[in-house]
Amino acid sequence: MNKKLLHKTQRAYLVFSILLFVIVAPLFYVLSNKFYIDEVNERLMLQKSDFVQNSLSKLKIEDISLWNNFNYAVEILEPYNLKKDTLFYSTSFNKIEQENDRFRVLNSPITIEGKPYVFSAKVNLIESEDFLLSIILLFVCLILLLMLGLFIITKKLSQRLWRPFYETLHQIENFDIDRHQKPHFTNSDTEEFNRLNKSINDLIKRNLAIYNNQREFVENAAHELQTPIAIFKAKVDTLIQRSDITEGQSELLSSLNVTISRLKRVNKNLLLLSKIDTEQYNDTETFSLQQLIEKQLGFFLEQAEQKNITVTTTFQKDILVHANYGLTELLVSNLLLNAVRHNLKTGTINIAISHKTLEITNTGNPLGLKEEDLFNRFSKSSNSEQGNGLGLAIVKKIADHNTWTISYTYVANKHSFLVTF
Amino acid sequence: MKILLIEDEKDLAKSIQDYLKTNDFVCEWVTDFSLALEKIALYDYDCILLDLMLPRGNGFDILSHLKKLNKSDGVIIISAKQNLETRLEGFNLGADDYLVKPFHLSELLVRIQALIRRKKFDGNNIITFNEIQIDLLSKVVKVHGISIDVTKKEIDLLLFLIGNNKKVLSKEAIAEHLSGDMADMIDNHDFVYAHIKNIKKKLKNAESKSYIKTVYGLGYKWEDE
Repeated sequence: MNKKLLHKTQRAYLVFSILLFVIVAPLFYVLSNKFYIDEVNERLMLQKSDFVQNSLSKLKIEDISLWNNFNYAVEILEPYNLKKDTLFYSTSFNKIEQENDRFRVLNSPITIEGKPYVFSAKVNLIESEDFLLSIILLFVCLILLLMLGLFIITKKLSQRLWRPFYETLHQIENFDIDRHQKPHFTNSDTEEFNRLNKSINDLIKRNLAIYNNQREFVENAAHELQTPIAIFKAKVDTLIQRSDITEGQSELLSSLNVTISRLKRVNKNLLLLSKIDTEQYNDTETFSLQQLIEKQLGFFLEQAEQKNITVTTTFQKDILVHANYGLTELLVSNLLLNAVRHNLKTGTINIAISHKTLEITNTGNPLGLKEEDLFNRFSKSSNSEQGNGLGLAIVKKIADHNTWTISYTYVANKHSFLVTF
Repeated sequence: MKILLIEDEKDLAKSIQDYLKTNDFVCEWVTDFSLALEKIALYDYDCILLDLMLPRGNGFDILSHLKKLNKSDGVIIISAKQNLETRLEGFNLGADDYLVKPFHLSELLVRIQALIRRKKFDGNNIITFNEIQIDLLSKVVKVHGISIDVTKKEIDLLLFLIGNNKKVLSKEAIAEHLSGDMADMIDNHDFVYAHIKNIKKKLKNAESKSYIKTVYGLGYKWEDE
């Protein structure tokens, strides 16, 4: 599951806020309730001591009922077995509001004219349900506000903070080692991003150096091989002129000739592959793809004839290609050669151009190698003796070089290569 | 015919020399840049075979030198370099042809012949071999004075065979010659057989002697016994 960076931060904030709410709200309720009751208790005690100090000495037994009538929330009760001050809750029905009221009551033993009585004071408590509801409401509002604030702030902040990161990301995404354009990172005022950019830059530089070294090595190696191959070829050419060659020897020489040809081809293709990487094919022109194909077709028709292959063309709409002509020619000829080579006897090849695509389809046995290896260098099926495994690598390289896409499908015993220009 | 070979690879030079020698060419060979300049200044050659990478000098400098001396010797560059820029520079400096190493000696030979033909026999572009006549300009082949119907490829093949008179030509050499720029593309040389068969038949129908011999396992040979 991939999530965006921003969403991850916001989710963390959300979880934190909810957690805070769940833990703090009950705690807040319990604590404030406790403080409130403490306060009420204190008030009751104060009331009692005030009564004891100021009123108790003047109070007579016969005045008790009268005193009770004139005082609200305080009364003197008939004595019962009460030893010390006792605080407790009581509920009584309120006729006006039609609901139960909760009270905090203090009962305290007193003595009036030598006889024991009970002093009782009570305070009406704020209804707890209302209280709880108000607190929850307050909290929800607070959390919502908090979240909204956090959301906006993180969004704005993240966008600003992470902008260099996204820029770097974009640069790396567009980087292609074959295309000689090093990514250009802009400096930000964040140390970490600058470090990131610097590391990536170093990494790319190192990789480019290694890559170029490799490429140069392949190019140099292939180039250095040209002369020995030339000598080899010339020597064999000289040798076969001799009149005293036996049949056995001529068979050996013949297979040598085939091998030299193959060696030469592999070498040239390797050289070509490494050359496409360098800037050697950067001059471009605009030309008709159809004309390019028609120009090459003769050669391949001749090759196809050897295997009794029927070649058909469906040119719906010509494409004007803007690229290096030689390279495009190579791409087409490699694909055509491939279609001839991996075809069946009396098979077919169809070359189709439409809107923006070139499709070359040919009959053939199923692929002898993994599809993902198809465009790799030197990957070829074990059952084919022909080919050097470089043709399609060259095709892919040329397509990549021009940012064309190439795809392969095998449907109904037909191989099909589709180039989208 | 005099040919100057400027090439620092001894083995390759030796093979070229041997191959050309049997075809009535006198081939002088120098390995050194300054020696090459000396020879060029002193003698005229029908054709100069020039390697571009020489010890103590660049083949291009020899081309400029030739130009300075106002020499009209034909020059074929033989080089391992195959990029377009090098080719173009060579042609700009006055080279007549460019052959990329590795090449078949038979190919080199017909290139030299073609070059000399172009240089020497302006207007007269007819090659004759006994009863066979090939007009290079109008692309007409005549046997016993009667023109026969041949394709462009078949004329090309005929020229290649006749040019390499008495030489054994491998199937690969013929295939590469006939495919031209596409030479590096092909790995199936069976089409050579079809072409040889066709041209043999056409020549036979025109009552020409059968000059094309099959050399067992190796290829073909043009020979008048």
